Amino acid sequence: LHEHNMASAGSREWRAVCEKFRRAQDLSEVESRKDPENDPFRSKYKARELLKEIYCTLKNFDVDDGEGEGPEADGQAREALNGEPANKAHTGDSRAGLRAAKLGVIDYHLGVNHIETEELSAGEEYLMNCVKLLDECTVTRENVSLFIQVGNQLGILWAGRDETEKAQGFLETAESIYVQYMKEDGQPPLDLVDFFVLEEDAPSQQERMRRFEMAYTHTLYYLAQVYKNLGQYESAGQYCHSTLQRQLKFSHFVPLEWAINAATLSQYYITKTRYMEARHCLAAANVIAGLAGEVPSEAAAKESEAEYEKREQLCQKRAEIARCWIKYCLNVLQDAKKLLEDNIGELDLDRQEELQRARQDEEEEKERGRKTAVLFDSAEMFDSICGQEEKVSCILPLNFEEARAIFLVGQGYVTQAKEYFEMDGHVTDHIEILQDHSALFKVLAFFEEDLERRCKMHKRRVDMLEPICKDLNAQYYLLICRQLQFELAETFYEMMDLKLAVAEKQDQPDAHTIKKFNHLCLASIKYYQMFLDSIRSPEGKFPEKLEDDILRPALVAKFRIARLQSKIISGNQASQLENLNLSLESYNFVVQYCEEHPEAKKAVETELELSEEMVSLLPIKINRIQCRMVSSN
Amino acid sequence: QSNSIDGDAIKVYVRVRPLTQGTGLTTDGDRNLCLAVTSDHTVRLNSKPEPRNFTYDHVADMDTSQESVFSCVAKNIVESCMNGYNGTIFAYGQTGSGKTFTMLGPNELTDFSDELRGVIPRSFEYLFFLISREVEKSAGAKSFLCKCSFIEIYNEQIFDLLDSASASLFLREDIKKGVFVEGAVEKYAASAAEAYQVLSMGWRNRRVASTSMNRESSRSHAVFTMTLESKETGQGVVNIRTSQLNLVDLAGSERQKDTHAEGSRLKEASSINRSLMCLGQVIMALVDVSNGRSRHVCYRDSKLTFLLRDSLGGNAKTYIIANVHPGSKCFGESLSTLQFAQRAKLIKNKAMINEDTQGNVK
Repeated sequence: LHEHNMASAGSREWRAVCEKFRRAQDLSEVESRKDPENDPFRSKYKARELLKEIYCTLKNFDVDDGEGEGPEADGQAREALNGEPANKAHTGDSRAGLRAAKLGVIDYHLGVNHIETEELSAGEEYLMNCVKLLDECTVTRENVSLFIQVGNQLGILWAGRDETEKAQGFLETAESIYVQYMKEDGQPPLDLVDFFVLEEDAPSQQERMRRFEMAYTHTLYYLAQVYKNLGQYESAGQYCHSTLQRQLKFSHFVPLEWAINAATLSQYYITKTRYMEARHCLAAANVIAGLAGEVPSEAAAKESEAEYEKREQLCQKRAEIARCWIKYCLNVLQDAKKLLEDNIGELDLDRQEELQRARQDEEEEKERGRKTAVLFDSAEMFDSICGQEEKVSCILPLNFEEARAIFLVGQGYVTQAKEYFEMDGHVTDHIEILQDHSALFKVLAFFEEDLERRCKMHKRRVDMLEPICKDLNAQYYLLICRQLQFELAETFYEMMDLKLAVAEKQDQPDAHTIKKFNHLCLASIKYYQMFLDSIRSPEGKFPEKLEDDILRPALVAKFRIARLQSKIISGNQASQLENLNLSLESYNFVVQYCEEHPEAKKAVETELELSEEMVSLLPIKINRIQCRMVSSN
Repeated sequence: QSNSIDGDAIKVYVRVRPLTQGTGLTTDGDRNLCLAVTSDHTVRLNSKPEPRNFTYDHVADMDTSQESVFSCVAKNIVESCMNGYNGTIFAYGQTGSGKTFTMLGPNELTDFSDELRGVIPRSFEYLFFLISREVEKSAGAKSFLCKCSFIEIYNEQIFDLLDSASASLFLREDIKKGVFVEGAVEKYAASAAEAYQVLSMGWRNRRVASTSMNRESSRSHAVFTMTLESKETGQGVVNIRTSQLNLVDLAGSERQKDTHAEGSRLKEASSINRSLMCLGQVIMALVDVSNGRSRHVCYRDSKLTFLLRDSLGGNAKTYIIANVHPGSKCFGESLSTLQFAQRAKLIKNKAMINEDTQGNVK
C-alpha cells in the first residue's frame, strides 16, 4: 500500500518531512491551546510555516516523480467534484493521483490553518486548491477521506459567510462521495495523516475506518444544521436522526447527551404524528441513558461535590426523558380521541366499530412501514430498545382498555418525573407535570362509558390541581395561576355536565344530588371568576379592551358563567330570579363586548351566537317568574 | 397613557450617547454619524441604500440629562415596586455605548450628589424617599425591609458578587417567592447610601473576578436585586407585601454574537470531541416550530431568562435601556442593538391558556 505512495520512503529527507508534519500537527492541536492572549495564534503561525515548507519539499520530490503526467487542468472545481470518472485525468491510486492527494492534504491543512487564524479568504483558496487537485482524480481508498473532509471544511466556511446554499452544495457532494465509495469499495480508506507518517506510526485499519466514519458523521451533522438554517425542517429532522444513529453505531457519543437528543427528537416526531418513530427514539433514550451509570446514592452525594453533580445530572435527565414519554402517551390518547369523537365531543360508537374493523389491515401496513423506517440499529442495544418499545403501543387506542394501558404507562412516567421535579425547588416543572397528569385523566375519561366513573376521574384532576392553585403566588406565577384557574373551572364544569346527564336519567333528583350539583356549579363559577379577576388592573378595573392572548379565554369564561348561573337549582323563586339576572348580565357582557369590539367576533363565534339567543330569551323567562312571584304574593 | 400593569409589553428606551474622545471607540477625527434622533420616539439609521427608521417608547438624544432618563424609565417602576409589583430595568448595548454611564454614572462614581449619577443611585434615592414618606404618612403602622443581592451570570454559571469566595450557585423556585438564587447573600439596606455601598462592593468584586478568573465583564450579566417587604399593621391584621426591583447589566451586545445571535454559522465538531453539542439545538428548533401539539423540550432556558422569567412579560414592569453609539464606525453594532430592542418590544409572556382548555361549546 505504502510502496508507491512514498516513493522516497525511508530516505532521510522523507523522515524529515514526516517529522515536520508531526510537529505542525502538534503545534496546531496541542500547543496552540496554551498560546498567550496577546499572541493567540503563535503556534498556528509556526505550524503554517512548517506546512509551507513541506509543500515546497513535496513539489520538488514530485518534479522527479510526476513529470510527464500531463498538465494540471484547471477545471471548475465544484462541477468536477460531481463529475463522472470518465472525465478524470487520473485514478486516485495512480502515481499522479497520489501526488495530488499528498499535496491536497497539505493544502487542506493550510486551508484549515488560515481559517483558524481568521484569514478566511486565504483559507478558502487553499481548500479550493485541494479540491482542484482532487478534481483530477477518481475517488479511491487513497483520497476519499480527503474528499469528505475538504467538503466539510468548505461547508463550514460558506455557512459562516451566510451562503448557506453554497455550504449545502459542498456538504451534499461529500455525502454522495461517501455513499458511492461505500457502495463500490467500502474498505478502510487512508487517513489524512497516512501520507506523512512513517509506517510504524500509521493508524490501524480499524482506526482509519473509525476516523473516516466520524468525518462522515460530521458531514451529516453539518447538513442537519444547514437544513435547519434553510428552514427545511423535514430534512433537518432526518439528518439529526441519521447523526444520532451513526453516533450509536460507531460508539461515538456521550450517553446522557445522546439520550436527551433522542428524547427531544421524539417530540419532533410527535408533532408530526409519527408515533412509531417517536416511541423508538424514547425507547432508545431509556436504554442509552441507562449506560450513563448508576445514580449515586443520596449519602454519596452529600459526601462529595462530584457525586452530587452526577446524581443531579442523572436524575434530571432521566426525569426529562420521562416527561417526553408523558407527552407521547398524552398525544397518542388525544389523537385517538380526536379520531373517535362526534360533533359534541362524545365517543362515536359507529366510528369506533368502523375503525376497529379497519385496524387489521392497517396493522399489516404499519409493519411494512416499520421495516423501511430509520432505526437505531446498534446490534447489542437492539433487543433492549425493542424491550422498551413493547411496553407501550404506538397505535392509536380504540377502546377504554387500550386507552387505559397507555394512560398507565404515562402515569408511571408522571410518578418518575415528579421524583426529580419536586414542588420544592422546581415549581414550574412540577406543575407542568401535574397539568399533564390532569390531561391524561381528562382524555382517559373520554373513553369511559360509565358517567359516574368518568366523573370520578375528573375529581382526581381537581384533587391534584386545587391545592396548588390555592398556594401559588400569582405575583410570580400569574400565567400558571391563570391556566390552573381555567382548568379547574372547566373540570368542575365537565363534572356538572356529567351530573346533569346522570340526573336526567332519574325521575326526580334528591336533595343530596341537588346539593352536589349546585356545589359543582358554584365551584366552576368561582374559578372562572378568579380567572377573570386576574385580568383586572391593580386598581381592580376590568380592561376596556382585552389583550389578544386572553380574549377568547375571558369571553368563554363569561359565557360559561352565564350558563352555570342559569343552571343552579334553587328552591325559591327569588334566588332563581337572582341567578337568572346574573346569567343575563354575563351573556350581555359577551354580546356587548363583541358589539364594541367587532374584531372579537370571530374568536367566539359559537358562543356569541348562543349568547345573543339567550339575551333575547332570558328576559321572557325572567319576566314569567316575576309575574308568578307577583301573583303568588 | 394606560397605566395598567397587565398586558404591558416590555418598554424600550433608546439612548444615543454623545461623541467623546478616548472611549475606546475612537471617533477622533471621524465626526460622521450613522444615527439621527428624529423625534421622541424615532431614530433614523443612515443605512444604505435606504435609511431605516426605528420606533420605540422613547428615544433620547445626545443632550438628554441623567435626571431625564431616570424620570422616564425608572420612576414609574420604583413607584409600582412600592405598590407590591415587581420591576426590572435592563441596560443593553455595545461596550462603550454608555451603559455604565447610564446605569451608574461617570467613572463608577461614589459621590451621591453628582449631577451625573445614573439610574441606579437615583432609583435608590427615590425608593428610600418614598419609603420614608410612607412610613411617616402611616404614623408607624407601616414598616419596610429592604434586602439586596447581587449576582453575576457568566457562561451559564451563577456567581455571588457579595461573597466572592462562594462556588457557583443554583437557581431554584419556590411556590411563594418565585425564582431565586439558592444561597445568595442578602444584605439589608436601610438607606440609599447603604444600598449603594452594597452595589459598589459587588461591582468591585466583579472587576476582581474578571481579572483573576479570566472572566470578562463584557461577557457576563450582572443582576442587582432589591427585595422590598412592606408590613402594615392595622386592626390586629398584619398585611405583608413583597416586591422585587431588578437592575440588570446585560453582557455587551457585541459579544452576543459569539453565543446565539449568529444563527447561520455551523457549530463545528472537533474530531476529538465525542459530543456534538449543537445537534440538540437543531432538534429543539425543529420541535419549536411545530404546530400546537403538547410536547416537552428538554433544553432549559438560559439562566438569565429563567431568573427574570417574571420580568419578561406577565405582571411585572420592565424597561430596557438600549444604549447606542452614534459614530459611523459603530454602524453594525448600533444596527444590531436597535434590532434587538425592536425584538424586545415583542417579547411578552403569553397567558397561554391551552387551546385545549379554551373549551368548545357543548
